[in-house]
Amino acid sequence: MTKIDGPGISVHLEAVTKIYSVSGEELPALRGVSLSIGGGESVAIVGSSGSGKSTLLHLMGLLDRPTSGSLSFGDRRVDTLSATDRAVLRNRSIGFIFQNFQLIPRTSALENVEMPLLYRGLPARERREHARDLLASVGMGDRERHTSSQLSGGQQQRVAIARAIAGSPGLLLADEPTGNLDSRSASTILDLLLSLRDRFKTTLVLVTHDMEVARHLSRTIRVRDGQLEASS
Amino acid sequence: MTLILLGIRSLLKNPYRSILTSLGILIGVLSVVVLTGIASGAKALVLQSIQNLGPNLLVVIPGSVTDSGAQVGGGTDTTLTAEDAQAIRSQCPDIWNASGALRTAAQVQSPHANWSTVILGAEPSYLPVRDWRLARGGFFGDQEERGMARVAVLGRIVASRLFGLSDPIGKFVQINHAPFRVIGILSSKGQSPMGMNQDDMVVVPLSTLQSQIMGVTYVGVILAAATSPDRIGAARREINGILRLRHHIPSGGRPDFEIQAMSDIAKTAGRLSLILTVLLALIASISLIVGGVGILNIMLVSVRERTREIGIRMAIGARPRDILVQFLSEAAALSFFGAVAGGAGGVLSLLGIHLAVGWPTPLPWIGLGLTVAGATLLGILFGLYPAWRASRLDPMEALRYE
Repeated sequence: MTKIDGPGISVHLEAVTKIYSVSGEELPALRGVSLSIGGGESVAIVGSSGSGKSTLLHLMGLLDRPTSGSLSFGDRRVDTLSATDRAVLRNRSIGFIFQNFQLIPRTSALENVEMPLLYRGLPARERREHARDLLASVGMGDRERHTSSQLSGGQQQRVAIARAIAGSPGLLLADEPTGNLDSRSASTILDLLLSLRDRFKTTLVLVTHDMEVARHLSRTIRVRDGQLEASS
Repeated sequence: MTLILLGIRSLLKNPYRSILTSLGILIGVLSVVVLTGIASGAKALVLQSIQNLGPNLLVVIPGSVTDSGAQVGGGTDTTLTAEDAQAIRSQCPDIWNASGALRTAAQVQSPHANWSTVILGAEPSYLPVRDWRLARGGFFGDQEERGMARVAVLGRIVASRLFGLSDPIGKFVQINHAPFRVIGILSSKGQSPMGMNQDDMVVVPLSTLQSQIMGVTYVGVILAAATSPDRIGAARREINGILRLRHHIPSGGRPDFEIQAMSDIAKTAGRLSLILTVLLALIASISLIVGGVGILNIMLVSVRERTREIGIRMAIGARPRDILVQFLSEAAALSFFGAVAGGAGGVLSLLGIHLAVGWPTPLPWIGLGLTVAGATLLGILFGLYPAWRASRLDPMEALRYE
């Protein structure tokens, strides 16, 4: 398998549609989206809720498959890969950050950060050391043993970011990363993401409805009713 | 390996549930081990007591064949006589000795006590045929047999019931109001294979029992000892020939007697107890399967409960196989823990039974190993479906699961 690794994976969508069928009814979430994001570029995807912006991000994160159209990383088509191959790509090339953090409950911060390295097959000691470094780099070095219920929202998101970058991904995807945070935590998280982008030269795609956040990124893509509105 | 540890660690996060789930397998393995242990103990016991009867022994019983087939021990016919026993004793070259015997129940009285027991009428040769020993005194001989003497040899229990600690030899007991002189006491022998206590009996000459107590001329059974275990077949043919001749049964006609070799009975008993063992194991296996269903159930709940966790793991790169291994190792750990604990509990219970009632409870180590391994495998099998379901979850749907 060709290894698609950072820094900076380029993402290409070609006439991508996504139709959810909910109890027999077809609900189109994306209706023909074509889009290219260059390696190392940082892009904000904005739009109202229900516009399809999160669906777009999930497709890029290989968490979901498009109904039609194609998705490629670099020149490699990835939407047709097997579940296992997509899992490997998610593990090695993609870091996903969620609005609601998605830390594993009753599991320590350190173990959460270790997890992607575990699926990569790293030996325990290496995993632990690397995870410690990562937690320290997001300013959570003193909270290794805390579980998610013992952490504030901002702290949880920092752990989630450490976990997302654990595998040095070439593509960092963030779905409303500051949506559940107060404004002070939000700006800390945003600064952290931007500094990581600068440090690792990864491609950063961030979904937000906050134009203030979008302004910090080099390009804004607007999604409306499952289609791209305009680029700026 | 790491994934297996991961599975075990998530069990420790829910210790009560894990223990309760294992309990099903534990009880299953426990019952398999205990029941098969008891069954093989019973088998050993039966074989041992049949062995005590003498491997050379042939038993002739009257008229035990009915229209519907063989009826072991059903002989109530009155066709066998002491003369038949005499003929077998004197005319069969492969018979070392033989004795007719007859038994009845009667009340036996000493001056101090009263005991209801079995009266066994036997010929003098009965003692060597059964290989019985005397604890004290002597046995009656041909003279007493011919003369229908009122002499009695007491079993251990009868002696102590009627005479307590005092010596009964030379004293008199009343059997059906007739006085019998006690001439000997038998050594303790314990249970017979048919479940009778062989110490709870009084032995009197056969002729005395026939004429003075029961008023009959037949015998209930003829016991014959072959000269050696490998002559049993020949001895059986000889008895058959002589009795057919004496009872005027044409060749091809149905005999009015049946000959059983103790070795055959031992074989039959062995086969029966094997069936018993298998049957008990099967019944116990049902509880094992119930335990497996418990694992299936709890694993399905666990997969559902942790759907979001599975989604997160998939999102950060867990392959379907990784999820499968994680949940499968959880099921395996649950069943392995339950199986080992159940096996240990089973061994302890068998030892307890052995100490409490003195039953031989041979520990079936191989069976134990197989049971534990089988139960673990069962747990894995039942864990397969939930684990497969977990591994097939769609990452996005799993992440959205509330």
